Amino acid sequence: MSTIPLQEFLRRATEKCADLTHRATIQRNIDSYDVAVAKGKQRFSDWEAARSRCSEIKAEAIAHLDRYLEQFEGKVKERGGHVFWAETAEDARQYIAGLAQSRGVKTIVKSKSMVTEEIHLSGALEKQGAAVWETDLGEYIVQLRNEPPYHIVTPAMHLTRVQIAQTFREKIPSEMNGEEPPQLVAAARRKLRKAFFSAEMGISGANFLVADAGMVAISTNEGNGRLTTTLPRIHVAITGIEKIIPRLSDLATLWPVLATAGTGQPITTYSTLIGGPRQPGETDGPEEFHVVLLDNGRSQVLASREHREMLKCIRCGACLNVCPVYRQIGGHAYGTTYQGPIGSVLTPNLKPSAGFEHLAFASSLCSACGSACPVRINLPHQLLLNRRDAMAKTGQSGSRTMFRLFRWTAMSSVRFRVMGWLSRKGISTAKALGIAGSKLDPMRPWTQYRNGPEVPTQTFREWWRTHGRQ
Amino acid sequence: MAGSNPQRERILARVRAATADNVPTTAPAASKAPIFAEIPDPLERFLRECAANLTEVICTRDSMESAAACDRVLQSLPPGELFFQDTPVFRSWASHVDSARTVRWSSGGPPSESTQATFTLAHGFVAQTGSILSSSLCGGRGASIVAPCHVVFGTTEQVVADIDAALQIANHDLLSASYVGLISGSSRTADIEKILVQGAHGPLRVVVILQAAS
Ligand code: SF4
Repeated sequence: MSTIPLQEFLRRATEKCADLTHRATIQRNIDSYDVAVAKGKQRFSDWEAARSRCSEIKAEAIAHLDRYLEQFEGKVKERGGHVFWAETAEDARQYIAGLAQSRGVKTIVKSKSMVTEEIHLSGALEKQGAAVWETDLGEYIVQLRNEPPYHIVTPAMHLTRVQIAQTFREKIPSEMNGEEPPQLVAAARRKLRKAFFSAEMGISGANFLVADAGMVAISTNEGNGRLTTTLPRIHVAITGIEKIIPRLSDLATLWPVLATAGTGQPITTYSTLIGGPRQPGETDGPEEFHVVLLDNGRSQVLASREHREMLKCIRCGACLNVCPVYRQIGGHAYGTTYQGPIGSVLTPNLKPSAGFEHLAFASSLCSACGSACPVRINLPHQLLLNRRDAMAKTGQSGSRTMFRLFRWTAMSSVRFRVMGWLSRKGISTAKALGIAGSKLDPMRPWTQYRNGPEVPTQTFREWWRTHGRQ
Repeated sequence: MAGSNPQRERILARVRAATADNVPTTAPAASKAPIFAEIPDPLERFLRECAANLTEVICTRDSMESAAACDRVLQSLPPGELFFQDTPVFRSWASHVDSARTVRWSSGGPPSESTQATFTLAHGFVAQTGSILSSSLCGGRGASIVAPCHVVFGTTEQVVADIDAALQIANHDLLSASYVGLISGSSRTADIEKILVQGAHGPLRVVVILQAAS
């Protein structure tokens, strides 16, 4: 286990846990999410059946990924679009940066895309002199602050209106006309409108790739996705290969389920399908349409029977919102593109050598994530598998010895009794000597944040002798 | 640029090898239970959902009333350019437009940055979500997103019960279009403290003039 991401994670998590303002902001945001989602689910006559349906759709897509990807590609090409298959983040960056360079692109507008975060696309484009504008309000705010997104659906969830107003005052003072949310939104709209109308390239992600229609499905509320894919003369859509779904009709389930799990809405304001560049006889739209299909470790995940269900993820963010760990430490502590439970299961598998194995342990295994997941990914089970893999990989001899010792102890009632006696004596002695909780305490990783266990006055066996038969 | 792509074969080969075991992911048994309740009165539901998603709906009985409704909308708009999908109905309505305004037609190109309102038709209306089924064939892609106000004209015959029915229309009639979409209310964001603000990047105001079927 590489120590740097682990130590960084522990440092940030500790810091965020102690930041009460941060925790109050997250709590307020997630509380309003909880209310909206509970209400949204009532619109379904059977939410559980909807989850099962989505799970089946995604499972089918993944089981026949090659066939559906080829079908999608063929349809896009029929309408004059281009499809590029990228094995790695570097391949995808090179393709898009090369495209921008060869077409003389100076200004790029982006709608929200976690895959572009995954491959660090903006930096590569900026390096070659292009101005890159995030146009989703939350993404724009974190871009102005030079921060990564805090949450896969609501990137600026950790900020208050006061902090956002402060950022706008510093970065876009000429657009400011007040500090309340409507005025802040208007300031961003004014600023970004200029970018939309001057951009030569628009880059979007995709929520789904519809195989039988050969269309990219994008869900947004602000309309920035529509403008990004409409106004510039080149549109590039980039997404992971696992985003494929078999049929257009599948969206009748997936669109409302994604919106409900993500924000509690019945459907997002703009549920958009893009199938190609401007077609003959159409009034407007890009002259070029490129779809970049990114592997970047996904086919390796697919190769694992145990882990492949992770590829069903529709990035709704529900597992983050319900996770008690995420609620305390927030999104930046993870140090990953995808945060929360899905980030903890996905990242070590997409990037096996990046040292994120410890994230499997950033969970209380309460199962809230698994119950919330609208595509029924068994996230707690995936976390356990990752824990197993992490132990196998890093060979933590300390934990291993402890578990062996426990096993040896638990297999004999005499040994169990002796070890119990020793433990009780040990804790009492440590307390008497005043080393409990100090640096000398062998239980310090636990006791530095928590009270140590109280030594019971009576053992269970003693209690059982007097009460057990009553 | 788009020509050579040897990675395509490598990715597909890996995908094929990975799925050769044909073991599905842990999907539960096929679920056939209905997931949404039936919609007995699609028009009533459409109006209710539009009220919830902040789409203004003006119900009219005939073409005269629709033209009058359009006039009222025109009066309420701030000064500036208007954009119309080039169809006979809008040609007739646009004859009432104040001569001080510039009028653009979809046959002459897309709306501009300064367009105040766009007027388009729709392929359908979805009762389940109060949505407008639109496409690039409705005056272009920008016609439904660029201006602060989007006015849509259609008839009650076009109201379908649910998203599934709307997607069937798309599948049947619209796959040649480069864009198809459901628009469910005005542009909005809740990215600041989860407070809903209308008019993020797209139309602040969406108006449907819904004429009774003849
Ligand atoms: S794992 Fe499930 S709950 Fe989490 S983001 Fe993905 S789809 Fe949503």
